[in-house]
Amino acid sequence: MEITPKVKFLGMTFDVTVMIGTTITALLVILLVIFLTRKLSMRPSRKQNIMEMIVDFIRGVTNMMLDDKKASKYLSFAITTFLFIIIANTLGVIVMINSHGAVPAFGITQSDAEVSWFKSPTSDINVTVALAFAITIYAHIVGFRKSPKGYVAHYFQPYAWMFPLHIIDELAKPTTHAARLWANIFAGEVLILILREGTPYLTALPMFAWVGFSLFVGCIQAYIFTVLAMVYISQKIADDH
Amino acid sequence: MSLGILAGGIMIAFGALAAGIGNGVLFSRYLEGIARQPEAQGKLFGQAMIALGLVEALPIISIAFGILVLFGVLG
Repeated sequence: MEITPKVKFLGMTFDVTVMIGTTITALLVILLVIFLTRKLSMRPSRKQNIMEMIVDFIRGVTNMMLDDKKASKYLSFAITTFLFIIIANTLGVIVMINSHGAVPAFGITQSDAEVSWFKSPTSDINVTVALAFAITIYAHIVGFRKSPKGYVAHYFQPYAWMFPLHIIDELAKPTTHAARLWANIFAGEVLILILREGTPYLTALPMFAWVGFSLFVGCIQAYIFTVLAMVYISQKIADDH
Repeated sequence: MSLGILAGGIMIAFGALAAGIGNGVLFSRYLEGIARQPEAQGKLFGQAMIALGLVEALPIISIAFGILVLFGVLG
């Protein structure tokens, strides 16, 4: 199992690999979208067509749960989530940078340590938990602002004794939301690392298959993460609830 | 340490078992759907893949924690 360099600051531990990964992913998302949306015109160029395809794809997700007016309010949020996660998942499969040996600057002293410098940011559980909890907190705020009375009353429906069940439900949602994405990407990267250690002639074919499968899983999980985020938000602002 | 390896192995094994049952049910129903209505294949494929992602999640969470136990990061 590889080690990640960590920095202690104000009593908190920061993971350098995750910080590098998330920064590069965010930069890539911004650059990609800027590149795809230059010179917009009524008769779309090839670049504009790609971006319109992405927007239409995510509009299909948001329109599943919400009516058109509300859906366009959350459309940009859903696109950002989707692009960030799909690029984060894909990046870790394409590029993994590891070094062998001690890194005294970050307090890693074992001479045989395998230090990971670049991997998928979503293969670290802290990133996915942060994403999932931010979405959950946002969903609760939106639900509370829509109707404070209805929000509180919802916890005691249909019966008052169901209150503990509602609390468990609200805690389980972000936990599984985060663990689903993390576990898929983490298991994929660990198996790539294990296959890399083996005899090259034997593990080459499984490696090809697994890298392809990892890319596929990364795309599916990004889509599912976005769908679930929109489901959790729409549950709180649905009119019939 | 040997107990940790055993625990990790059991977690991964049962994760794979559950995934096998879940995917089996999912895809048997998917194939049934195609057999009844071959023209719905395109629509059903996308839905089946989303369901695959949802089904695959819980076993893979178990596998990820199993890997952490196996490598001695947890427990």
